[in-house]
Amino acid sequence: MHMRHLFAAGALAVLLAGPAQAAGEPSLDLVEPIADYKIYVSEKLQKLVADTTAFTDAVKAGDIDKAKALFAPTRMSYEAIEPIAELFSDLDASIDSRADDYEQGEKDPAFPGFHRIEYGLWEQNSTEGLAPIADKLLADVKDLDKRIADLTLPPETVVGGAAVLMEEVAATKISGEEDRYSHTDLWDFKGNFDGSRKIFDLMRPLIEEKEGEFVTKVSGNFDTVETTLAKYKAGDGYETYDKLSEDDRKVLAAAVNTLAEDLSTLRGKLGLD
Amino acid sequence: MSASEKSTHKAPSSALMRLAAAGAGVLMIAAAGAFYHASRMTQPQTVGEVYRVEVGARACEPNAITVAAGRNTFEIHNASDRPVEWEILSGVMVVAERENIAPGFRQTLTANLAPGSYEITCGLLSNPRGTLTVTPSEAYAAAAARPTLKAFIGPLSEYKVYLAMQGSALVSSVTALAEAIEAGDLEQARSLYQAARTPYNRIEAVTDRISDLKNAIDPVADYLEKREEDPAFTGFHRIEYGLFSAGSTDGLAPVAEKLVADVTALKQRLREMKLGPEDLANSAANLATRLAEGPASHGASRYAGTDLAELSDNLDGLAKMAGLLKPVLSEAAPDVARDVDEKLSATRTALDTFKGANGFPTFDKVDEAARKALAKSFEDLAAALSRINQAVGLG
Repeated sequence: MHMRHLFAAGALAVLLAGPAQAAGEPSLDLVEPIADYKIYVSEKLQKLVADTTAFTDAVKAGDIDKAKALFAPTRMSYEAIEPIAELFSDLDASIDSRADDYEQGEKDPAFPGFHRIEYGLWEQNSTEGLAPIADKLLADVKDLDKRIADLTLPPETVVGGAAVLMEEVAATKISGEEDRYSHTDLWDFKGNFDGSRKIFDLMRPLIEEKEGEFVTKVSGNFDTVETTLAKYKAGDGYETYDKLSEDDRKVLAAAVNTLAEDLSTLRGKLGLD
Repeated sequence: MSASEKSTHKAPSSALMRLAAAGAGVLMIAAAGAFYHASRMTQPQTVGEVYRVEVGARACEPNAITVAAGRNTFEIHNASDRPVEWEILSGVMVVAERENIAPGFRQTLTANLAPGSYEITCGLLSNPRGTLTVTPSEAYAAAAARPTLKAFIGPLSEYKVYLAMQGSALVSSVTALAEAIEAGDLEQARSLYQAARTPYNRIEAVTDRISDLKNAIDPVADYLEKREEDPAFTGFHRIEYGLFSAGSTDGLAPVAEKLVADVTALKQRLREMKLGPEDLANSAANLATRLAEGPASHGASRYAGTDLAELSDNLDGLAKMAGLLKPVLSEAAPDVARDVDEKLSATRTALDTFKGANGFPTFDKVDEAARKALAKSFEDLAAALSRINQAVGLG
């Protein structure tokens, strides 16, 4: 009986036998996009580990120019998966905290991670004293990779991540607050943006039919952001934040805030509130 | 909602519910001026009280909160002069968080909390954390005893990732084996044979469901009319027969080529496969039963004798499946969760007792009594696994 049930079980049969799906409950259709998202996260982490290795090697070799050139592209993979990366509070703090999180700001001996190195490279124009911070950063990034590999992603965190990333852009990127020493905020912006759009694109088939208007509006705003950001492409990356024109900043701000607001309803639409 | 409003631990809920609702709908004007920041527009319905927490320059007020398990809403007031994020932590894991709360502003956060001890963050990383104690509640226990579909989405997604990874690993390992065979390198092919099967054994609980490919990839001669001479004798065991019994790679190249094509097709099918909540535990229990009755009792890789290593890989796959269900199971039925853990480690111990400096011995070295004991451990494991679904309300 066991066997017959198992082998005969198509998705429908399983659904019928499974737990009751009340109104507003999530559907099993979420399984595939969430699995695909985990694979996306794993790929980003693989890249993050490789890029951080090259970045920290440059820091330790005292190669300031190379380290500066690698800083922003390395961070993009982290920014793209931030809703998942920040689930581990200790690593979030040691990898990506800002000077504001510390009592003595930049001078605080506890100030670690990417932004501490950023401060050294741009404000002090030196790699002096950065080697142990670089070693710790690489170890933390590898630890993050390992921990996430073993983590079952909470569906509500994945889906909610689309809005969280746009809120992050609104709060810290459009203001130019995140990368205050290097002014490479537009790179991080693109990382957050890609991560948010990835989640939306994966969930899109699940809501397209019932929420056509919503899908069109969100896609339109994503397109606006993408087109506006593309104007600031330079080489493999982006211009510094100060090159962003006032008009474009307004366009981006409006689109990003609308996206953050609209995407915050995505969890509810998928029964995950 | 002035910043000076006195914060109380548990204020009368009706007034606070209004506050929370207002806070949830408010659009924050960020420091930059032109940019406002949307908070969640739709707050889930909250049963119970709203707990207020004020984050000051040095600590949270109150710094120790006790709530009942279930959905709880917190209103966080940033009374410091820096933006803060407020997090509920279980160990290093963030259970719930509200980010970017501007100075002077209030935000609400709703979280479904299991009983236990948590910490709350309070501004600067060097500030002492507060404590959040979640006491057991009947409502939470009742909900945990009968998990909804939502509880299975994470485990099923993670298992699909596992299938995708093992599917890719299988294509690589079989390709390496096929290359050695193609090159006529008997020793190399022999040494790669068992490792080539590892990813397959790890996911055997579900490949059993893909009967056409299973019959091409993993048929054993005993079930075929003409046994080793049967044209349907293909796949891994045909290669095993050639390498270990006939002692030659002669005639194996086309078999290996076909096997590469079949495992590549399998990888694709695994991606498309739809799994339901019941499937993890059912498939795991079925495989454990089959392993007890077959390979653990009589051996299945009769030419290479690699059964112990294969059972070890099978067990890794079963442990993965059970591990994914463990968070749901531990809450719904802790005794069943413990039983599964015990049987998994007992089976692991039973297997590892055979292990020597050179890994596992061939199966012909395992005497009848030892085989019986090994089979019994898989049988007990199957029994434990078969209790899972009923314990999580899927029976």
